[in-house]
Amino acid sequence: MSQSLPAIIYPVAIPLMGAFLLPIGARRMAELAGLFGRIVVLLSFSTSLALAVSIWTAGPAVSAMGGFAAPLGIVFYADRLAMLFLLALNVAVFLFWPRGQGAKGGPCTLMLALLAGGSGLILSGDLFNIFVFYEITAVASYGLAASGRTHAGFAAALRFLILGSVGSSLMLIGIALIYARTGTLNLADLSRIAPHALTGPVGLAAFILLLAGLGVKAELVPLNTWVPEVYGAAPARVSALLAGVVSKLAMVVALRFVVQVFPGDGAHTVLLVAGILGVLAGELAAWRAGSLMETFSYSSIAQLGMVALAFSISGAAGIAAGIALALHHAVVKPAFFMLAARWRGPVGGLAGAVKDSPLAVWLFVILSLSIIGIPPFPGFWAKFLFLKAAFAAPSAGVWIAVFVMLAGTVVEAAYLFRAVLVFFADGERGGSTPRFAFAQLAPALGLGAVLLAAMVFIAPLGASISGMADEASNAAAMAARVLDRGE
Amino acid sequence: MTGTLLYGGAIGLVIIGLYAIVARRHLMRNIFGLAVMESGVNLLLASVGYRPGGHAPILVAGAAPGPLVDPIPQALVLTAIVIGFGVLALALALVVRVRQAYGTLDNRAVARRLRAENGEARS
Repeated sequence: MSQSLPAIIYPVAIPLMGAFLLPIGARRMAELAGLFGRIVVLLSFSTSLALAVSIWTAGPAVSAMGGFAAPLGIVFYADRLAMLFLLALNVAVFLFWPRGQGAKGGPCTLMLALLAGGSGLILSGDLFNIFVFYEITAVASYGLAASGRTHAGFAAALRFLILGSVGSSLMLIGIALIYARTGTLNLADLSRIAPHALTGPVGLAAFILLLAGLGVKAELVPLNTWVPEVYGAAPARVSALLAGVVSKLAMVVALRFVVQVFPGDGAHTVLLVAGILGVLAGELAAWRAGSLMETFSYSSIAQLGMVALAFSISGAAGIAAGIALALHHAVVKPAFFMLAARWRGPVGGLAGAVKDSPLAVWLFVILSLSIIGIPPFPGFWAKFLFLKAAFAAPSAGVWIAVFVMLAGTVVEAAYLFRAVLVFFADGERGGSTPRFAFAQLAPALGLGAVLLAAMVFIAPLGASISGMADEASNAAAMAARVLDRGE
Repeated sequence: MTGTLLYGGAIGLVIIGLYAIVARRHLMRNIFGLAVMESGVNLLLASVGYRPGGHAPILVAGAAPGPLVDPIPQALVLTAIVIGFGVLALALALVVRVRQAYGTLDNRAVARRLRAENGEARS
């Protein structure tokens, strides 16, 4: 552990350096910007993979920057949960790398900055570093939202920026509150101090302020007015990336706060309420939406609400359910967005799509069945984990969560089947709906293949996720790993 | 006394900023509100590290250190100011683009046009 450059910083350092170098090179050789960026992502992915392998075999890794040990120094902390989402982020950035007109220096730089910020967010073990990386991620996503260079894109990005900055400022107030009460910013240190120093209304206020900041990215009610605007106006690849993976990173950070800093009932109740509102508002808005793009924007609010519901059940079982839901959504939703990007316009105009693009329609059916939770698809199993966690820890709040979850699923099934019925409408000769070129369908097909593969490997996947959840729910062990090294 | 003034001022600035963001329709005013709110948050952070009669936390050989202010919040404020500056610059750049695109900076009008345009792209 005492080598000069610990492996844990490469997933952040490499894309960050790439993001600084790329614009310089792009001035001379604009056509190489995309290639250079992809190489940087591959490099960052391979270092992440190497780190993941070492963590899977040797347990969580901690690194103290510059040789200063925690709590004085700033730490990065990587366990299996962090590595899972780090790898998912790397894969998603590579998969949704800008193409064609969009593959200029600007968007490529922003993608690398997003990768660096997101990786830092997931690895940081320190409140203020989380804020800084959160801001890097946020600024990169404002820029990416506008990267279509359309009028709507600029307007959506500006409105997103204003909301996001208010959220970040509230988060910073929360951090100031926590520091004033406890005198530390280190999450591991806080997990020992906070249970007696951060109680009562002050602790709850601090949690709500932090969640207000994270909630903008995690699409929590009422901080998600940007969602339909940005996902409608931004390039589909950006929407897929933001909804699929970046929102989950904020959710995972919220989970870290709940486990390490706010283990009391108050924080769980706040998450529960945010989740209930998210599921209800999201599913109903998705049901009313006119186009597929809008439907999936709102349904992603609902899906993240379900993740929040799962995280609000205390204990490892709830965390496992939340991870499974988040992971499943991270695979399914980007694929939906890639399909919806081609099928723009009112759903009614897509009648007979099955004759024009049968492969895309069948992929849509499989994704829908999985997200609704029909066995044997992985989505069923994620929702089953949620119900299992709920029955293991029964309380009034949990029953409401179960009811909301099931009600949301019914609405979800209603609007997805409505779209499928339109695709299979009789009496349509076809030819009136857009066809997919293979390159347009490829990312969605790849994600569909991942989904089907997950169906086969569901047992080892389940065991791995519950191990991950056990590790991530044990705040005392995490604190010991960070603080008691070398003693 | 100083503490009350500092905290009151910080919270006051945050509230003024929030008011300008929530209640005003002009996007420029919203951005000014953002700047005011960020100053309030920075003042709050700096106040957290303030100690009555404290000096800058620089140790000089031979001199006995008196009460020192907490340096960590100051480092945080410095970072937050830089981030705030960057975000503000981006916001102003976007405002120019929005104004060129829609000819107005009325937030509600922009939101309406945005919704219409997202709808048009669909039909």
